[in-house]
Amino acid sequence: MDLYLYIDRPSPIHRLDPRAKLLMLLGILLFAVSSDHPLVPAVMFALVLAAAQAAGAWRALKRVRTLLIVLSLFSLVAWSLFADGPTRLLGPVSLESLLYGVGTALKLATTVAGSFVFLATTRNEAIATGLIRLGLPYNAAFAFSTALRLVPTFVGAGATIVQAQRSRGLDVESGNIIQRMKKYLPLIVPIFASAIRSTNHLSMALESKGFGARRQRTFYLQLHLGAADWMMVCTGLLLIAASFLLRFSGYGKISGLLT
Amino acid sequence: MASVSEAVQLTNVHFTYRNGETPALAGIDLAVSPAEFVVILGPSGAGKSTLCYTLNGLVPKFMRGNLEGQVTIFGSPTAGERVSTLAERVGLVFQDFESQLFSTNVELEVAFAPENFGVDRAEIGRRVAECLATVGLTGLERREPATLSGGQKQRLAIASVLSLQPRMIVMDEPTTDLDPLGKEGVFQVSRRLRDQGLTMVIAEHETEEAAVADRVVVLHQGRVLAEGTPADVLTRADWLEALGVQPLGAAQLTARLGLPPALTVADAAEQLAAAGYRVDLTALPTPAPEPNAPAIVEVVGLEHRYPNGLTALQGADLTIRQGEFVAVVGQNGSGKTTLVKHFNGLLMPTAGEVRVAGRPTAGQTVLELGRTVGYVFQNPDHQIFAETVADEVAFGPRNHGVAPDEVQERVAEALAAVGLTGREADDPFTLTKGERQRVAVASILATRPQVIVLDEPTTGLDYREQRQMMDLVRRLNEAGHTIICVTHTMWVVAEYACRTIVVKDGRIWMDGPTRAVMVREAELTQASLKPPQLVRISNRLGGTLLTLGECLHALRRV
Amino acid sequence: MRELLTMWKNTRMIVLTALIAAVYAAVLIPFKAIPLVPGFTEIRVAQVIPPAASLLFGPAAAWGVAMGNLLGDIMGSTFGLGSLFGFVGNFLLGAIPYMLWGRLGPLSSNQEPTMRGSKQVAEFLIVTVASGLACAFMVAWGLEVLGLFPFTVLGSIIAINNVLLPAVLGPVLMALLYPRVKRWGLLWSDILDPADIGAGKTGGLGAWIMLLASVVGWALCLFLSLGGGGQLLMPGFAQGGQGGAVTVVAAGAPVALLLLAGLVLGRARTDLSQRGKKAA
Repeated sequence: MDLYLYIDRPSPIHRLDPRAKLLMLLGILLFAVSSDHPLVPAVMFALVLAAAQAAGAWRALKRVRTLLIVLSLFSLVAWSLFADGPTRLLGPVSLESLLYGVGTALKLATTVAGSFVFLATTRNEAIATGLIRLGLPYNAAFAFSTALRLVPTFVGAGATIVQAQRSRGLDVESGNIIQRMKKYLPLIVPIFASAIRSTNHLSMALESKGFGARRQRTFYLQLHLGAADWMMVCTGLLLIAASFLLRFSGYGKISGLLT
Repeated sequence: MASVSEAVQLTNVHFTYRNGETPALAGIDLAVSPAEFVVILGPSGAGKSTLCYTLNGLVPKFMRGNLEGQVTIFGSPTAGERVSTLAERVGLVFQDFESQLFSTNVELEVAFAPENFGVDRAEIGRRVAECLATVGLTGLERREPATLSGGQKQRLAIASVLSLQPRMIVMDEPTTDLDPLGKEGVFQVSRRLRDQGLTMVIAEHETEEAAVADRVVVLHQGRVLAEGTPADVLTRADWLEALGVQPLGAAQLTARLGLPPALTVADAAEQLAAAGYRVDLTALPTPAPEPNAPAIVEVVGLEHRYPNGLTALQGADLTIRQGEFVAVVGQNGSGKTTLVKHFNGLLMPTAGEVRVAGRPTAGQTVLELGRTVGYVFQNPDHQIFAETVADEVAFGPRNHGVAPDEVQERVAEALAAVGLTGREADDPFTLTKGERQRVAVASILATRPQVIVLDEPTTGLDYREQRQMMDLVRRLNEAGHTIICVTHTMWVVAEYACRTIVVKDGRIWMDGPTRAVMVREAELTQASLKPPQLVRISNRLGGTLLTLGECLHALRRV
Repeated sequence: MRELLTMWKNTRMIVLTALIAAVYAAVLIPFKAIPLVPGFTEIRVAQVIPPAASLLFGPAAAWGVAMGNLLGDIMGSTFGLGSLFGFVGNFLLGAIPYMLWGRLGPLSSNQEPTMRGSKQVAEFLIVTVASGLACAFMVAWGLEVLGLFPFTVLGSIIAINNVLLPAVLGPVLMALLYPRVKRWGLLWSDILDPADIGAGKTGGLGAWIMLLASVVGWALCLFLSLGGGGQLLMPGFAQGGQGGAVTVVAAGAPVALLLLAGLVLGRARTDLSQRGKKAA
């Protein structure tokens, strides 16, 4: 089961430092949300799609296609109904609220596609190391990357548990909502209990490998910020600054919009 | 007196766990010399794990309890030493490989331990390359551990403790959860490490591996009952069996026949041949002719292709009749589990057809098929959830809509069948692994299926528990259930299954009476399977015998 | 509060954090969600984990549930600005139950959460509602700040998700797991050194602040988001249902601060009695 989004390909985006990519993603997302008008997030979305192409992840984007569509539609409908403006279109929907809905749909699409490109081009261990370099304490980064490594194991165990209980006649399809909820108990208890039971084994293995033995530990995986990374960092910072300017300058607003 | 030259010196060691009633170690005296290869045998509960944990300080630093006696590793007493300090001298590998791996890639996993000690990067790089080469995982540096096989994961776990360059490696039942290929991989690594001069202390159930050790130690109820060379200890086959340790077929047979002891198939066959023994199959009781029972499971042209494109089954045909006891064997990934999951509807054919009791499975639900075919999964902890044993066993019949008083009756019946009468009110989480496994079987029995599929029913059990489990399965077969047992434990296949189906690369490779399959050793080797010692010995003496009983009956001096 | 930081020194707690995070994220995948409104709103089965984990594992659950949600974002490709609020919201989801348990005066049973008796179940429901609404508030408010979703929509969906399923399954799960985890020696209060657990008199105050801030704060923001009070705050303002964003953002800020204050003041009870016996 391929749970991770990472695609191994030699692309310029893959070669970038995870910290630079993270900052760039932050910049793109902040810039996208700093405007009410859909034009700005549309440009950011196009930028992210171009990055996907450059990363060789274009075809893989279809993995998130459903999510993109569902989220975008959902927010489009939500804001069209919840926001308001002077130009009536249809029922409660006004031109302003529709525009705003389109804008947020694009912002969410940028989030999904942007995070996809980031994750498709960055290995799990690079993410963890990047976070440590940014100041996250080692033990926290360790818990995070151990959790990352354990998810596929638990997903596999969960799938086995579902099959085992189904083989005993568990049927989660039938019954009203409360009954169906109760039927999840034979699924939750085994997965949770067997996860918890492995606490001691994992802890023993950790101690046996000298976890916490020295105050200073070596980091085998090293990250380097090259010229391309610094350019990305600068661009990211510029975007962040621009997003604040945009938000507080009044540009990018939809006149008459009430949210 | 602790000798400075010893790797391990345990003197009168006692240990009782904090909440334990009896001591786990009750007076252990043990010495291991540097570069020695020691195998520790013993039934479940003998104290093997506790002994292993004592060697790297987990007892008493991590496992709370009362430790008495002297433990000295490479000349220094361990009292007061931290586990991390000992980690540089002693590497410990545990049974469950999933609970030993933390990183998201192979390379980093091996680097983890030296990183913790502040070893410099260039040195770590060197060690990673070296350790991966030793365990045979070179080239897999950037892989995620989730994509490795069980055997590869365990070898990665070994590499991850090797990178601290310890002088001794201790392994606590490292191969219990592995298939034969995985086990072989780990054994090869152990031998390679021994050749490199590391001291090896391995607690194992696989007695064949003990045959190549320098010394064998037998543990029982926290005491050392015997120690010596394999020739000294393993030849006491009947005694080992009485203790609950699986005896070596070669040793047991030669001892029973009064011949000089042998530990290997080659030696035993030679001995017996020299003494004039040949197999006389006519001496075996002829099985009563099978009335042609109706087919209960029929598989025609079965193919199964997973959504991700992997074709697990490429065309299988077979018919299983009511009352049969069939073993389905093969490596992990051969398709054997995929095959049997079609019998109760967990999987549907992507081509071909599967019929159960005459009706195609397509269109039936798991709930419906579950009334005819019960499936007992390998790990009981993947299904136990209830407060009491009775509730656990009642789950199946309740799901099938059985009336409450009948449910109670079925629960009592099922518990009686598995030997757990009187345990109805117990908390299933407090039972031993073997008992939990029996609860799992009981919970399927309570649904009164005609066919029972068992997935690796002997995993994680010691020899005595394995026999108990398989004797139970045999009783169920004698009571009329059709048994389909997926396993790679060949002695179980030889002793219990009338018919053996070998699955390899998604196809049915061999299918026939067990005796007929077990004689085809070369083909079995291609499927990475090896018949048990007794079978192989008899194969070399002119016929195929499946159990010790058969050997004693049918080996005649010519 | 203290144990949230000191737990990072303890190997077992670090491991528990990783395990809780991994199980929380993993359960989203093989266990299908239960549709409330098929195709639109689904109930995540995973939501039963946070309150139970909190009462069993305390601070490890706070960090673990937060990390697990982040992992879910990462594996589901929804990693973005909202993930920060998701992290904080889920942190509250995992922290509030154990900090509230036993601290609610007449509402508390003062016993270990073994779910024997209706008073315990009631207390469980209260802490579930408080933590569930705190999380719903934090995430919905954050996304309103970012202008991505109206508070009403997300605030209600997340609230239902966080409360409904745990209310139904949670007590049974606790009853099954608590005695076993205790026997395995893995209760957080047994693992951590008492010196590392926050002590002092502010526990009751912190608990009430968190309870009130989450329930009132969530309800208030929902009310404002639906346009209520618009006429009071913005004279001449037209229809209900619009214009709530600004007021929600403004009102939510002090609520968020109150929640964080409650967290700092919160002190878990470590002297709970077993049912039928008095604490030593």
